[in-house]
Amino acid sequence: MAEFWNINPAYEKAAKAFLQEKPEAEVTLEFDIEVKDFVNAGKGSAEVKNVLKRLGVDPNVLRRIAVASYEAEINVAAHSNGGRMNSFVYDDMVYIRFEDKGPGISDIRQAMVPGWSTADDLVREMGFGAGLGLPNIQKNADLLHITSEYGESTILEIIIYYA
Amino acid sequence: MAGTEKKYYHAIQIVSDNCTGCTSCVKVCPTEAIRVRNGKAQIDPTRCVDCGNCVTICQFHAILPKSDSLDIINNFKYKVAILSSSYAGQFTEDIPYPTAKKALLDLGFDQVAEEAFVTEFIVSIIREYIRQNKHIRPILSSNCPSVVRLIQVKYPSLLPNILHQEAPMSILTRFLREKIQKDTGLEEQDIGIFLIVPCVAHVTAVHQPEGAYKHLQDGAFSIGMIYGKIRERLRKMNGDNSRIDTYEQGLTWALAGVEAEMVDCDDIRALSVNGTDNVLEILSKVEDHYLDQYDYIVLRSCTNGCVGGCLNVENPFVAMSRIKKLIKNAEHQDLDVSDLEKLYKDGQFAVAPLEPRSIMQLDQDIKQAIQKMKKLNEILVMLPGLNCSACGSPTCYALAEDIVSDKASIDDCVVLLKRHQKEED
Repeated sequence: MAEFWNINPAYEKAAKAFLQEKPEAEVTLEFDIEVKDFVNAGKGSAEVKNVLKRLGVDPNVLRRIAVASYEAEINVAAHSNGGRMNSFVYDDMVYIRFEDKGPGISDIRQAMVPGWSTADDLVREMGFGAGLGLPNIQKNADLLHITSEYGESTILEIIIYYA
Repeated sequence: MAGTEKKYYHAIQIVSDNCTGCTSCVKVCPTEAIRVRNGKAQIDPTRCVDCGNCVTICQFHAILPKSDSLDIINNFKYKVAILSSSYAGQFTEDIPYPTAKKALLDLGFDQVAEEAFVTEFIVSIIREYIRQNKHIRPILSSNCPSVVRLIQVKYPSLLPNILHQEAPMSILTRFLREKIQKDTGLEEQDIGIFLIVPCVAHVTAVHQPEGAYKHLQDGAFSIGMIYGKIRERLRKMNGDNSRIDTYEQGLTWALAGVEAEMVDCDDIRALSVNGTDNVLEILSKVEDHYLDQYDYIVLRSCTNGCVGGCLNVENPFVAMSRIKKLIKNAEHQDLDVSDLEKLYKDGQFAVAPLEPRSIMQLDQDIKQAIQKMKKLNEILVMLPGLNCSACGSPTCYALAEDIVSDKASIDDCVVLLKRHQKEED
């Protein structure tokens, strides 16, 4: 099982403690992402954005969450056999987990290199597949954790703190 | 808080006697500002952005646009009308545009100026602004007052992206006020400058401008309101051959698509967006950084731009076609804009940073907001999810929001009420 971690040092302790305990979230959202469904992909992250606006999350943090979750959602639609997005909203952070139905990432390190993409022609025609998805998530999230194995499902988790 | 809340001016009024409570207006409001309570529509002034969608949709003359009465020009010694470019599209082609412009003098104005006069100058300052603010992308156009207010209300994170320069008619106002004072020796308060506008948002912007440093206009008249009077004058003016200058080449301002084309050049990529739903979708994408490849986005709330404003008399597509024809047949004129440039260099057209008008938050305290969100979700699963608006709120989600904010009760849901009645029978 291959794994990739990236954690903002400022939140390392808090984020790891969170992943250990996974306390029950105050507000949860669930969204199914269908294979190559570019019409609806993006609606899950839009829902998260709408909830966070109602909680009064700082506009700049909100934009980071929007970018990271949108990228991850598009990734599932573009590259996987479909999957699910689960969002857990707390009063100081949001934790979003994407789990797909395969086919897995063969080389995560390679996938993290800006500009590298396995996107097929259909995906590129839709204007995606520039190879900036994962690097963009990494840039905007306080924690990014990917576990994957070729032929199996991929789980991508992000945490972003409000302050 | 209550006493300190800002009072917002709106150029829309509800005539309760005419309101049937049909909820058509509730459904078309982009900021969910309207509710039907006790059978009558009510507008939340903190949410309303004066887009005019409710004015257009109401079949019962229950939501009316407000604009000033023409009599107020008599309070001034020198009266100036500034014409919005969409005015030119309101007349059938047998009426030459210069004649339609002259008819305004006949209504009692001493001078009639056109927004179109400053179009090319504005394009040059927009380009300069875009080049000077490379760290902000995309820059969002500020000419549509409804779009500016929509950003303040729903997308406050995008406020720094708004082009912080006055809109064309305001730039022209500043220029004319100075020039007329110099030419006539009149005092500032003796000169009345009025806009002839295509939409309610421009009326609101005259009465409550956003970011304006100085006094701008003294009133706004609806194109629709003066149209009848103009037609009457036109009949009498038959054969009047006196000359008047017109600036057809600048009428592009009334058309959202053409404005973007004018700003677009080798180093500036511009996108044009019009219509409320499109504007909402694009602003959400800008928020997600998905349109950072554009340097400038022209956003207009109405279909095709200002020609789609709810105070116009002609269909937005017909008006657009007429204006395009006028532009096509226009002789190119080199306008002397040196006085405008002087004012611009002097910083006279700058606007103050715009403040948010956040309406989305359930509570100032995030812990409280989360509790309300939990309650909202619990209510939401009980509601039928039909989004029928029969309760007077636009959607089931909005009703749930109203309930947790103590503005409605679950008993307002007509569908649930009917189900309960059936169970009791």
